[in-house]
Amino acid sequence: MAQPASSGKSPATWGAVAVLLAVAIIGTLWVPIYARSMPELGPFPFFYWYQLIWVPLTAVILWICYLLLRTKPTPGRRAKR
Amino acid sequence: MYHLNAVTLIIVLGSFLIVTLIGFASARWRPAEDLMQLNEWGLAGRGFGTFVSWFLLGGDIYTAYTFIAVPALVYATGAAGFYALAYTIMVFPIVFIFAPRLWSVARARGYVTPGEFVRGRHGSQGLGLAVAATGILATMPYIALQLVGIESVLTVMGIGSTSGNAVIRDLPLIIAFGVVAAYTYLAGLRAPALIAFVKDILIYVTVIVAMLYIPSRLGGWGHIFGVASAHLEKVNPATGKPFGSIVVMPAGEWAYATLALGSALALFVYPHATTGVFAAKRRNVIRRNAAMLPAYSLVLGLIALFGYMARAVPAVNADVKASGGNAQLSVPLLFAHMFPSWFAGVADSAIVIGALVPAAVMSIAAANLFTRTIYKELFRPYASPAEETRVARLASLLMKVGALGFALELNKTFSINLQLLGGIWILQTFPAIVIGLYTRWFHRIALIIGWATGMAYGTFEAYRTPGGGQAHFGASVTPVFGHITYIAIAALIINLVVSAVLTLVFRKIGLQDGYDETRPADYLADPGTVPAAAAPGREAPGREAPGFVRTR
Repeated sequence: MAQPASSGKSPATWGAVAVLLAVAIIGTLWVPIYARSMPELGPFPFFYWYQLIWVPLTAVILWICYLLLRTKPTPGRRAKR
Repeated sequence: MYHLNAVTLIIVLGSFLIVTLIGFASARWRPAEDLMQLNEWGLAGRGFGTFVSWFLLGGDIYTAYTFIAVPALVYATGAAGFYALAYTIMVFPIVFIFAPRLWSVARARGYVTPGEFVRGRHGSQGLGLAVAATGILATMPYIALQLVGIESVLTVMGIGSTSGNAVIRDLPLIIAFGVVAAYTYLAGLRAPALIAFVKDILIYVTVIVAMLYIPSRLGGWGHIFGVASAHLEKVNPATGKPFGSIVVMPAGEWAYATLALGSALALFVYPHATTGVFAAKRRNVIRRNAAMLPAYSLVLGLIALFGYMARAVPAVNADVKASGGNAQLSVPLLFAHMFPSWFAGVADSAIVIGALVPAAVMSIAAANLFTRTIYKELFRPYASPAEETRVARLASLLMKVGALGFALELNKTFSINLQLLGGIWILQTFPAIVIGLYTRWFHRIALIIGWATGMAYGTFEAYRTPGGGQAHFGASVTPVFGHITYIAIAALIINLVVSAVLTLVFRKIGLQDGYDETRPADYLADPGTVPAAAAPGREAPGREAPGFVRTR
């Protein structure tokens, strides 16, 4: 994720984005966290509702990252050759 | 065994007719000044904003894999099949990281495919060829998976004969595919992008209705999980072990995690996914979409649960057994037994169209790869844009024929294996493409040898893995150091180690590295105008897009 400084974002912003993305990936990559049936949510074993909840959670995390990194388009850049 | 239901058949035929008309009409959507530019045919002019990109990418990466193969695996083995949900959750953070850089460099340099990027970045024609060939090879079984999905719907609908001749048996499938090939040939990427709207509406309607309606008819989720759990605990007479489990067992955790991670890393190096990315108008479109595409992952998770619903319907189990244990029929059978016939028609249409859209994008993506990285590089370096487009159109037809071959030849018990086999191959291009976006530390020849080693190991391991009643290419996981692991991940690690060691050796002996035609600023570029369509460095004078002339 090492972006050149020219992207105009501070290292703190990049650090925050890196942590958020790492959390979003590890949340479902570390299977032992959720390979269990308790606690159930209604009739759903933990294994299922935990993963389903990660779907909207990932969307929210990525939206925050998008807002943190949002840049204006570089207008009128010339074609390189 | 399966009865032809007139109402279901009419609805499915009607939907197919509608999307066919849309497919042919799409050639006039966002009309191109000159459709005979590969940028236009193969990337729809690189003009898609957030909204269209969301439908196109969603329509493109959620395929028959989602609608047929994953629930079939859940139906048969339970929790193990849910790795697909974990995969589609972690794929978007990964895409968020590297896809904007890939989009920027492709836009700045006029690349249409990842193969061109690799050639330009590493200064290696051989590496570009390797990436292109791998992309085409890996896409074939993925298209074949779409065909298997359509076929299982047709089987349950009672279409198709039981003839021993594959061509006669699959005639409806071949006709349907021929029609798709025709409008893809004509309209290029515009056709699947427009049809993706229809597909997604049908899919969302089907999933919402199924979630609201079926569980209540089956006595609630408690009952569904109860039946599934009771079945999975039973001992499979063929293996002497339980059929599966409702929660992943400790012994299966490693396979679950590596299948999810391997599939997630592989997805956006697949040509069809990069094609969807390259068609975006702006850099921000990619990140915004990464945050919005998980809506489809939710759909995937819910569709995976259809596998358990199907298990709770005794009539579905009886029909699957009668078909010789073909779990792929479980979702279409669930629709047939649970829905009134008109809505079964809507749901079946969703699956059929849901498989046609990605099949079209995949064949376009592979055709772009062939044209730009193989045909133009090896045979016709000065091919005109019109010639490129003609070649790409023909190549898209050939891809479909090749995929038919795959679909008719390979085992269909677990079609998910077709996707996993493609994943083993395509992941071997990850170092050259994704790591190449950040660093040129790896030597180009080391990358080629690493790729070759990973491909050879992955293919060999997959070949010698039996499963699903066949001796070879039966499964995509194998024990590595005592852990059941997705072969793609093991092959990628071997690939990386070989590349790293050889890079050190080649640097030591002073072997010359390639010339990098990209510039650091290219990776952050966000131009609002489309660059010249011809390959960089080769464009004829005066070929630049008018937008650039204006901004000078």
